Amino acid sequence: MTFDIDTMMLVGPLLTVAFGGLAMMLVDAFAKEKAELSVVSAVILLAGASFSLALWFSGPREVEAGMIGSYLAYDRLAHFLDLVICGGAALASLLAGGYLREHRIERGEFYVLLLFSALGAMALVRAVDLLSMFIALETLSLGVYGLVAFRRHSPRAAEGALKYFLLGSFASAILLFGISMLYGATGHTSLAEIHQVVAAGEAAPTLLILSMLLMITGLAFKISAVPFHAWAPDAYQGAVTPASTYMAVVVKAAVFGVMIRVLFIAFGDESLANADSGWPPALAALAAITMVFGNLAALVQKNVKRMLAYSSISHAGFLLMGLVAAWKLHGGSGLSAVLFYLASYTVSNVLAFGSLILVGSRGKEAVSYEDLAGVGRRHPWVAVPFAIGVLSLMGFPPLAGFFGKYYVILAAAEAGGGMLWLAVIAVLSSAVGAYYYLRVIVFLFMRKPEEGAPVAVPMRSGHVVAALVMAGYYVLRLGITPGAYLDLVSPGLDGATDLDVSVFLWDGGIAVVAGAIAAALTTLRSGASDDADEPAPAPAE
Amino acid sequence: MTQILTTLLVWPLPWVLLTLLFGRVFPRSGTLGYVGAMVGAVFLTTMTFGAPSPDGILSAILLWPALGALIALFLPRQWSDGVRRFASVWLWAGFALSLYLLGPVVREALAPNPEALASSGRLVQIAWEHFFAPFFGAFGSDASLTFATAGYRFTEDAAWIETFGIHYKLGVDGISLWLIILTTLLTPIALDVSWNSVSTKVKEFAFSFLLLQVGMIGAFVALDLFLFYVMWELMLVPMYLIIGIWGGKDRVYAAVKFFIYTMVGSLLMLVAILYVVMQLKAETGILTFDLTQILWLKLPRTEQLVLFSAFALAFAIKVPMFPFHTWLPDAHVQAPTGGSVILAAVLLKLGGYGFLRFAMPLFPWASRYIAPTLAVFAIIGIIYGAYCAWVQRDIKKLVAYSSVSHLGFVMLGLFSMTSGGISGGILQMVSHGISTGALFILVGVIYDRRHTRDLADFGGLAKVMPVYATIFVIVTMSSVGLPGTNGFVGEFMVLSGTFVSRTFNLYQKIFTLFAATGVILAAIYMLHAVLKTFWGPITRPENEKLQDLTSRERWILAPLVVLVFWIGVTPGFFLHPMEASVEDFMVTWTARSDQSYRSGEERGMYDGWQPPADPAEAAPAEEGAEETAANEAAAEGGAG
Repeated sequence: MTFDIDTMMLVGPLLTVAFGGLAMMLVDAFAKEKAELSVVSAVILLAGASFSLALWFSGPREVEAGMIGSYLAYDRLAHFLDLVICGGAALASLLAGGYLREHRIERGEFYVLLLFSALGAMALVRAVDLLSMFIALETLSLGVYGLVAFRRHSPRAAEGALKYFLLGSFASAILLFGISMLYGATGHTSLAEIHQVVAAGEAAPTLLILSMLLMITGLAFKISAVPFHAWAPDAYQGAVTPASTYMAVVVKAAVFGVMIRVLFIAFGDESLANADSGWPPALAALAAITMVFGNLAALVQKNVKRMLAYSSISHAGFLLMGLVAAWKLHGGSGLSAVLFYLASYTVSNVLAFGSLILVGSRGKEAVSYEDLAGVGRRHPWVAVPFAIGVLSLMGFPPLAGFFGKYYVILAAAEAGGGMLWLAVIAVLSSAVGAYYYLRVIVFLFMRKPEEGAPVAVPMRSGHVVAALVMAGYYVLRLGITPGAYLDLVSPGLDGATDLDVSVFLWDGGIAVVAGAIAAALTTLRSGASDDADEPAPAPAE
Repeated sequence: MTQILTTLLVWPLPWVLLTLLFGRVFPRSGTLGYVGAMVGAVFLTTMTFGAPSPDGILSAILLWPALGALIALFLPRQWSDGVRRFASVWLWAGFALSLYLLGPVVREALAPNPEALASSGRLVQIAWEHFFAPFFGAFGSDASLTFATAGYRFTEDAAWIETFGIHYKLGVDGISLWLIILTTLLTPIALDVSWNSVSTKVKEFAFSFLLLQVGMIGAFVALDLFLFYVMWELMLVPMYLIIGIWGGKDRVYAAVKFFIYTMVGSLLMLVAILYVVMQLKAETGILTFDLTQILWLKLPRTEQLVLFSAFALAFAIKVPMFPFHTWLPDAHVQAPTGGSVILAAVLLKLGGYGFLRFAMPLFPWASRYIAPTLAVFAIIGIIYGAYCAWVQRDIKKLVAYSSVSHLGFVMLGLFSMTSGGISGGILQMVSHGISTGALFILVGVIYDRRHTRDLADFGGLAKVMPVYATIFVIVTMSSVGLPGTNGFVGEFMVLSGTFVSRTFNLYQKIFTLFAATGVILAAIYMLHAVLKTFWGPITRPENEKLQDLTSRERWILAPLVVLVFWIGVTPGFFLHPMEASVEDFMVTWTARSDQSYRSGEERGMYDGWQPPADPAEAAPAEEGAEETAANEAAAEGGAG
């Protein structure tokens, strides 16, 4: 085993975030203005993302087995998912910067937890060994438990966190049980070696199938697929909204990343993956139930955050459908579709959650649909991003979410056969979905607040506005001209020959600069109006 | 790109600026002043720079309202009157720009060739040489730019998303030409009728209309299935906002119903589109959404039936055909006047257009097989819509149901698969847009004055509002189908086309008989409404002092009334450009439907298909062919 600079570069994104997290603990101890910590953590995460982007372009590399080589992979799948994870986490931390200050629960731990959890996520998408996978998954989850429980004095947060913790631990236990059985059946922990043993037919079939079921169940808990979703709405509702955002985007991306590896490598053999028995039909059924139930349940929600929770459940169904299509197409455009979906879903969700944060302010957090009534009239610049976000989640062209859905459905159509019916279920359930997403727009633009009802007052926060502008930029970019990003996830992840890194750097640069300008403008305006507003509430306190 | 920008900056932009400037300098000039200023500005630029280049003219027409929407977003909110004026002038400039598409039509009508010009009267020569020739410039001189032969004109093609073979491909043929002009004419009219009735959130209102026009024009000119789908969906949100924000009491219910109905249909269409594209890829190895390529794909008959149903559902909801029409009365009654006008005049036409452009040519055998069934539904729609209209007390609902009835004629004509029936159907779409649009405007006018639409609240209005009554009666006659008005031509052609149709399995004469009762019923319910509203004594004191049409309202209605008679008296001018396209459509459709009938469950390409000449695309095509063979072998093995 050698420790040369080349190997160190490969773990660079992980190290960046890990040391960033450690440094954050120090900075937290001395920082006076906690909100700026969110910018620091966003910068750390974006640095990690840039590192991964560079590695993506330097191409896949063989790493000799050794301390890290046999546990973690360094391929383009991991690097692409890094972009999604780091991007999502960075935006979530910016949202937290505004949210926590507004609601007076500002503590530096949030960012530390977020960074370490993101580190777990990044390790998870690299995991090619059952051990590293489990450790990474637990690192990811522990951080999220803390984030959900962040508002210590709120009973709802406690309830959500406890549910999430108990069920999550339960899921981990199931997963671990599956892992131990798999080890028992094959005698290996490395996914590739497991594959070889399975392909050679040397593993005990009963044990193998049982372990596969348990592992899929454990992972399905984490992505909140129906019927393992019960924790999700409570956890989303109870958590502080930036933490809900983080759960919705980062956890999902990371777990789908590891699902790809587990299903396609460890269980990728014909005997476990075929149309009659094995995981694909099970996953297809799971996808169908998840899409239908997630969308139907979202219909009856009165709380916007719960609605978004169910919406994220239904999106998990779409992603599962993509995985099945990917199996049928042997990776191919199915895998690309899943990856693109994750990216588009991330930015759309940040836009929706971020706008929800922006609509509320201290003591008047926007919770129900009624709280949104009339916002479009009084504060159009808050309502418009919200509308774009939900339209994108709905899958409306030409926005990012549409292309995600489109690509997944295209993959299903390409796979043909029974997948076509899954595609029809998918589009019908997304038509159902249109109804509850539209309700947001109905309340924003078409309803007047009831007489005497408390009126939501949007907060003024440069951090949140910056996150919204960045996410909004990508929602439009991925929707109107997704070309370059489609190449990034093109089948086989080999990248089109003419793919140019500068495109992505430009995009990132434009998004960050636009976000910074928007933030500066917001801060300037709120600074000006603060002078006028501030004296009034002061005597009351 | 530079060409499009030049077109936009040199032609419509000065028109808008000059007109707005004129209005600023002479604020009391009224509507006449605006019209004069716009016409003058058009003359000024054309005399100075000639006509814009035909390259990129469609993009210019499509992007113009998009640009306007973008500008409208940044106009100050308080400046509501200015925003309204801006949007109106902007849309009228778009209409003027779209008139350049008529260059070839005008040339063929006046001066098809030098000999014809020399032999025609002195007046025509003067008109051509001094007025039309300079006005249409490049359009007038290019002889290949003509609608006398079939095929797409003003085509544009640029790669949009290479990975999926999606192109930004536009084109116009005889079928879509008049529908585009209808769109660009009716959108500014619809915006202008809301001048006084919409006083809140004017900026958003203007924005919605501008965006809506992008979607509508885009759907009519798109020759790429994906682009068409995007445009088709793009129309949905602005219309949803128009109904939901500025509508009546139950506006939210109506808006959501409208949205969900349309969305369900179009999502299934999306799946069908993707399936067809994937089949084409399997067959030829080319991944493309280009309509002209996909049309060559021959699918097995059972698959055609399923896919045609998916397309037909999307379009039947939009038309709307019985029994998918239930969203229409809700949407119409709740929508503000402008919204109703645009909904009736343009949005519904996209359903018929979709059948003609996509559903029928893509699945020729299935469309022939289902045509009699759909014709039955169309006839039920004609009669049922007419009966429903008869019993309405609300005039707006009456007009809405009359739309269901009239569009039944359109669908019947399209399914008759005779050139008369199809041309008649297209002309009926245009006519319906004009007359029903005008009816909704007139209903809106009276609603603005009285805030009721109940027939029982009126009576004797002819004495109080003579001009209003005159125009109302003219439009009613056009809607009923009086000879000499536009309604007659379309309906007559549809009925005669149906009578000689061969797709209806010998039922064509019975179909014609039943459909013709719709004309009689139309006379009953419309004249009934006219009688109740305008004749008899004035029963309500409120009706004694109603203001007649204002100058703006007259100006808005004037072009529609002119068109009522123009189409009615010289339908040839309007029918001539579509003849070649319709004929070509018929020939191709019949041939392919026969081929498809013979080959049964086989799949492949229709006779005469040639792979695209592009060498870059030819190489993967061969690879794909091998794969296809392998796939087919595998599929057969699996089936066996």
